[in-house]
Amino acid sequence: MRALAAIIVLALATTPCGATEILGLDDTEVARVIQHGPWPPAPARDPSNAVSGHPAAIALGHRLFFEVRLSATGTVACATCHVPARGFTDGRSRAVGLAPGDRNTPTLLDVALHRWFSWDGRADSLWSQSLKPIVDPREMGASGAHVAKLVRDDAALACLHVKAFGAPPALEPERALVHAGKALAAFLETVRSGRTAFDDFRDALARGDVGAAARYPAAARRGAKLFVGAGRCRVCHVGPAFTNGEFHDVGVPYSLGGGRVDAGRSEGIKRVRADPFNLLGPWSDDRTGSAAVKTRHVEGTPASFGQFKTPSLRNLGHTAPYMHDGRYASLRDVVRHYSDLDMERIHTHGEQLLRPLKLSTGESEDLVAFLESLTDRGVARVPSPPVVEGCRP
Amino acid sequence: MVALWLIASAADACESSSGITPAARVESSGIVVVFRTVPPVIELGRHFAVEALVCAHGAMPILTRVDAEMPEHRHGMNYRPALHDIGGGRYLAEGLLFHMPGRWQLLFDVERDGRRTRLTGDIVLE
Repeated sequence: MRALAAIIVLALATTPCGATEILGLDDTEVARVIQHGPWPPAPARDPSNAVSGHPAAIALGHRLFFEVRLSATGTVACATCHVPARGFTDGRSRAVGLAPGDRNTPTLLDVALHRWFSWDGRADSLWSQSLKPIVDPREMGASGAHVAKLVRDDAALACLHVKAFGAPPALEPERALVHAGKALAAFLETVRSGRTAFDDFRDALARGDVGAAARYPAAARRGAKLFVGAGRCRVCHVGPAFTNGEFHDVGVPYSLGGGRVDAGRSEGIKRVRADPFNLLGPWSDDRTGSAAVKTRHVEGTPASFGQFKTPSLRNLGHTAPYMHDGRYASLRDVVRHYSDLDMERIHTHGEQLLRPLKLSTGESEDLVAFLESLTDRGVARVPSPPVVEGCRP
Repeated sequence: MVALWLIASAADACESSSGITPAARVESSGIVVVFRTVPPVIELGRHFAVEALVCAHGAMPILTRVDAEMPEHRHGMNYRPALHDIGGGRYLAEGLLFHMPGRWQLLFDVERDGRRTRLTGDIVLE
């Protein structure tokens, strides 16, 4: 068999002149750094959520996010695990709601940019993900009927519901749950991180301002070089959000102890396909069907077992501990993981790209300096809810 | 000499009648596939489609599969494209997504007279 190859090369971003010698980056590396921006991206509405961007829905979602009465026991809110002051995480290795969970609490910063939600991608929209913890026995342990009653009986919540959805709170449990999910999603779309030291560096490179780029610390510059070059980190942690939004096995054990395993993505695909709230179902507001393309075509393979979502690397300074099971307390631990990668652990279907980086102490510190520069130091802010006329603030 | 003429002729016929522009072309064993992606520039992490026209002399080959893989990484996409036969040797494959930068190989599996031929084209995504 012989085949002629058609070569389509997508051009690298324009490389400014003069940067390379001073900054220690070659033209390819500069172009790759530039690909990690600009930041922040323009907010976009979710076509599957009719109340995405709606002020009353944002206000309702804001209230529900901090509302402990949303849980069956009246003791757990979304904000119990997604603590704003901790970068919308909880600082624990593994989440604890009504009962201990198996995974680390992921940050909600910039969550609207994700393609799939949760570590295993069990949800295909932010709103369908947002309703899952409400009914998960280990998280909030409530029900659609519980949510319906809460929103109906609370005058402030009911008022916002009317303004957001144009109707009184739903009596049907399923609809009440979906509306809660969509309001929460509308709020979470406003949880965005701001600019970082890296973004200033990246923008300086993009406009060819070597002087401004040189103000970015030398260690972080060396770390950036490793990140986009020999370390090949950018193959998965790509783009402005430093994630490809997909799933990989990077050698983190998936055993949960006691004979249990966390199957990761392979289980996530089964769940999203069976989810009555997925984008292929009747609750999606996207009439074009374009939002559901991913759900229609997603495919599990033997390699999906033990894969977990590539997390964004933005705001790592707020979101320790790290990895899907929170096994690493510090960024140095994470860098050591990739430096000393256990190839025995990565199964035959694992990511073939991975090799131990075998970093020197200096290189490890450089990579840590780069990763720390991706943190917005102001993210502890909680976005203020919009004031909705006619509803009690 | 005859074989070379047949390949060239199939290719010419394919290109002149494809209406697929701008197009890339792959060929093997006297079978030509002219294709283009929709949108024309593939973006990392964005779904895209492939429009393809299959040409050959003699029995018309059937395109049975369009897929893609990263040979160096030894994995494919996380999505299974749906292939639609729209008649006259034309096909539409929907639901492709490249999730990593690097060299991807677009695969076209074609069957003719019970024999499968795989045609491949490289796409390098930076």
